[in-house]
Amino acid sequence: MAGEAAGRDMQGRLSAPQKRVRFSLFNIKAGGVDLTFLILVMLLLSIGLVMLFSASYPNALYYRGNSFFFIINQLVFAVAGVVLMMLVTTVNYKVLQKFAWPIMWVTVALLAAVFAFPAINNAQRWIHTPFFNIQPSEIAKFAVVILFAKIAVKNYDKMHTFRYGVQPFLPILLILSGLIVMQPHLSGTILVLAIGAIMMICGGTNMKWFVFAALLGIAGIAGLIMVPGMLEHATVRLATWQDPFSDPRGAGFQTIQSLLAIGSGGLMGVGIGNSRQKFLYLPEPQNDFIFSIVSEELGFIGASLIILLFALLVWRGFVIGMRCRDRFGSLVAVGLTAQVGLQTVLNIMVVTNTIPNTGVSLPFFSYGGSSLVMLLCQMGVVLAISRQTTMEKS
Amino acid sequence: MKKATQSRTVVRMYVVLLLFLVCGFGVLFFQLFMLQIVRGEELQQRAMNQQTRANILGASRGIIFDRNMNPLAESTTVWNICISPAELDQDTLDHVAGRLAEILAPHTDKERILAAAERRNTFYWVIARGVDRTLVDEVLAFITDPEAPVRGVFTEQTTRRNYRYGRLASSILGFTNSDGDGAYGLEAFYNRVLSGTPGRVVSTRDAKGAPMPLMYSQLYAAEDGNSIVLTIDETVQHFLERHLETAVIEHNIQQFATGIVMNVRTGEILAMATMPDFDPNDPFTLTNPHAIERLSHEREDSDAFIELRQNLRFDQWRNRAISDPYEPGSVFKLITAAVAVDNNLVSLNDQFVCNHVFRVSDTDFHCWQRRGHGNQNFMETMQNSCNPAYIMIGQRIGGGLLYDYIEKFGLREVTGIDLPGEAPGIGHTRAMLSREGRVELASTSFGQSMTVTPIQMITSSAATVNGGYLMEPFVVRQVLDPVGNVIQTRQPTVRRQVISHEASDIMRQLAHAVVADGSGRLSAVPGFEIGGKTGTSQKLDQIDAGHILSFVGFAPMDDPQIAILVTLDEPELDNVFGSVIAAPVVGAVFNEVLPYLGIQPHFTAEELARTEAIVPNLANMGLHEAQSVLRNRGLDARVIGNGGTVLRQIPIAGQRMNRGSTVFLYTEEEVLSDNITLPDVRGLTPHEANTRLVGMGLNIELRGAVDGAVSVVADQWPLPGEVMATGDLVVLHINVVQEEVVQTEGAITADNYQAVVPAG
Repeated sequence: MAGEAAGRDMQGRLSAPQKRVRFSLFNIKAGGVDLTFLILVMLLLSIGLVMLFSASYPNALYYRGNSFFFIINQLVFAVAGVVLMMLVTTVNYKVLQKFAWPIMWVTVALLAAVFAFPAINNAQRWIHTPFFNIQPSEIAKFAVVILFAKIAVKNYDKMHTFRYGVQPFLPILLILSGLIVMQPHLSGTILVLAIGAIMMICGGTNMKWFVFAALLGIAGIAGLIMVPGMLEHATVRLATWQDPFSDPRGAGFQTIQSLLAIGSGGLMGVGIGNSRQKFLYLPEPQNDFIFSIVSEELGFIGASLIILLFALLVWRGFVIGMRCRDRFGSLVAVGLTAQVGLQTVLNIMVVTNTIPNTGVSLPFFSYGGSSLVMLLCQMGVVLAISRQTTMEKS
Repeated sequence: MKKATQSRTVVRMYVVLLLFLVCGFGVLFFQLFMLQIVRGEELQQRAMNQQTRANILGASRGIIFDRNMNPLAESTTVWNICISPAELDQDTLDHVAGRLAEILAPHTDKERILAAAERRNTFYWVIARGVDRTLVDEVLAFITDPEAPVRGVFTEQTTRRNYRYGRLASSILGFTNSDGDGAYGLEAFYNRVLSGTPGRVVSTRDAKGAPMPLMYSQLYAAEDGNSIVLTIDETVQHFLERHLETAVIEHNIQQFATGIVMNVRTGEILAMATMPDFDPNDPFTLTNPHAIERLSHEREDSDAFIELRQNLRFDQWRNRAISDPYEPGSVFKLITAAVAVDNNLVSLNDQFVCNHVFRVSDTDFHCWQRRGHGNQNFMETMQNSCNPAYIMIGQRIGGGLLYDYIEKFGLREVTGIDLPGEAPGIGHTRAMLSREGRVELASTSFGQSMTVTPIQMITSSAATVNGGYLMEPFVVRQVLDPVGNVIQTRQPTVRRQVISHEASDIMRQLAHAVVADGSGRLSAVPGFEIGGKTGTSQKLDQIDAGHILSFVGFAPMDDPQIAILVTLDEPELDNVFGSVIAAPVVGAVFNEVLPYLGIQPHFTAEELARTEAIVPNLANMGLHEAQSVLRNRGLDARVIGNGGTVLRQIPIAGQRMNRGSTVFLYTEEEVLSDNITLPDVRGLTPHEANTRLVGMGLNIELRGAVDGAVSVVADQWPLPGEVMATGDLVVLHINVVQEEVVQTEGAITADNYQAVVPAG
């Protein structure tokens, strides 16, 4: 059992079976990867690519003059991503524990570097290179998982104290969220904070601090409302959220188009490839709102199955984490899986207008090469960790 | 301990996982269910609304035919020329606008095109409406020139309603708005019949309007509108309108004139007109000179100007024959008499004494005849249109009974004619008419203190002479499908029998007597038995009140077929009796309508015996009165000019002419000349001389002419070269050249010398 295998290691360093093994970069002796998780990843990736093609081709044709514009790009990155993922599974993930701090410093540097690049839609979120563009806030989520896992493992016994359970994490979160919020990138900030919180919760931080933080957050929101103009701004946004049809040409437009697409799907969907909303009605259907088109084409049944796949992925990721014999691997697996789950839930909540519109992309589905590669590499890490579990391998 | 700490982490992970599954994915399932299953249909409908474009396939609007299948209103295919300012090439704009303006003149001009092109964020702007085929072809040739194709100019097909006869029957026909829907008149009343159902091609379009690939499109074919066939006869309508138009000029009518020609037996309306009228091809242009005058006092484009212009337009579109109640005055005596006769309250021999003034309670009612009519029988009271006599008759009837009959005659309800905007008249209530003192009863008895519309008056008075039947008047007798099959035929509708056949027989005698030897004499037409009743009323609702003069006529009186009602609102009057001005208008219409409708004239022995007539002096007489006078002497009249008053006549008064000869009446200064140089006609035959001189508008008097002889003009007075005016007299002395020759065609006699039609 997991407890028996990993329980002995109170320091959270190497877990028992590897204790006498010298550290090596490539972990050859460990078991095979968790096939269930791998299959779920590949399934979601395949469905995601098919749906991306379906959702993106009218836009690609109209704005880029080439129906295949988005899917070709995405395919290239998907292939590269899968190759990298498979490579990562062979890597000894504990190297991440060693390099957790350097990764964090690089991340902070990159987050600072975005301000050197021109703004797109009044936001500076990207670092442009001749070959690809990267969004450092994506890396930040990963860096938080790694570093927080490392610290939580190190402070394992004293995590319930403020000094060890909160104090080491707080400055990192403040610096990261501060940098990201300045881009500005609200959803990125929320994700980083949420992932940090999940890591701390799983790591053992005393729950009273979260209650405290929640109260602080409420007080902060109340304080923000006091700022002149904020209340009006918030009221308008909330009103559009409550009833997007009140402003069908303005702020409510994308949400309305999303709801119309989802509603049009009905039980069975209009059939794959047959979405009508993707024909320039729904803005950028290849990005954050791709799930609207998925729902339209595949209907309630198809969309539910995809959500189920995501849920299974999350469940499996957590199971990997919980059964991992290594505490660091356990926390990293849970953290990376939680990140995917969090993004999925937030994204679909946005397209169903359950929460106000924030820019969260849907893992495996949304267009974006570098973040897909990033995602697949993270999945690779989870798979690598799965090799260290007590689970049955098939 | 170890186990506990490990399980702490695992428990927390379980909690987080559980939160994910319940609060995260669970909510997602719930939301999808709400959106796709619960609200699915609603959202799908909304989505379809935006995703599909219905291209309207215009249904062609039905035709409005007159009763003889002359198309009065029909739709033709025309095109709008449109530009898409956003897509226009700015470099060639000036050239394109110039060329379009050149082709499309006068529909638009270059400045207007350039102004429209300024709206750069627009994709659709019409620069010329209602352009016909030839111009469209030119535009298409220009914009599709393979050498230099023009972007951002396109055409769209639409229809234009065309009223072939212009102003004819405008107040009945109404007109269509720019969308092609009926806005007024029959076009509005029968809009659903005429318009048909537009078809559509529903196809899915992307947000930019382009068709989606592989998506469905569905065709719903257009159903063309049905056509309607009117009871209106274009010719009769034309006769009526011409005489009303003349009457408006003749009597300088301040408000308007209305006229209705109705089939007494069926209620079919053969003609109905309001003057001044308008052109339904261009309904927004004001035609009434009084209206234009009023509008000219307002500053152009001021609010007051726009409001006044709109009100004046509403005025000119108004079908006053059905929408404007008026006080019928003495015409109403037909109704009062009919009630009395139907209830055996009077007989033809009853005597009524009129001493000019008749007192009811404290009110003195005056008869129009200042001397009073003295002793008169019942028929004479109608001929004299004697007010006191009708007050007495009204008193015999009593207010309650009179009121009941007013209702039965349909004067308190709409007639139900199939035209929009009918408004019934108003009058005293039953209680007021029955009241002690009876001033209301007295004034109602001779048609005052109550109002009716012309259509109410003509249907109710027709009921007095057609055997007692109140008919429902109508103007549409058939509906035809787009192919021309009759799908509906209107049968005459009897609303009710109001008076008995016997009573109606007596009413016919009374009405006939009015024209034969009473106040309606000027409506008489030789050869036809006309009956009718005059009416004069003072508008009581105004201080400086004007008058409304009217006449209702029926013909032929042995078996009435046609009724004509003419009302003249605020004419300029020498005296105020309707007989003088409304009756001759009706007579003039009868004179043309009755022969046209194939009603055979029956001349009396006296009329047949009359072979010649002396031309009367018609100078300064109203045109209709002059025509009436000539008609009743057996002479025809031909009018030259568009005026209302006779300025000159040829031949001059005192000439003898054969029955049926034509007298020319000059009514307009423009056709008169005082600068005619008299030619030399000496040596010409009298016929040739006549041809020349009458052709120049001069009168001739022949001296020494002998029938059946070959003769020449021996002398003329004045001499050649004299400057003369239209209608002046030239005396020709004729010498017989050859006694024994029988009459040739060229011989001129008093009775054929007008054979030449003067110019003008």
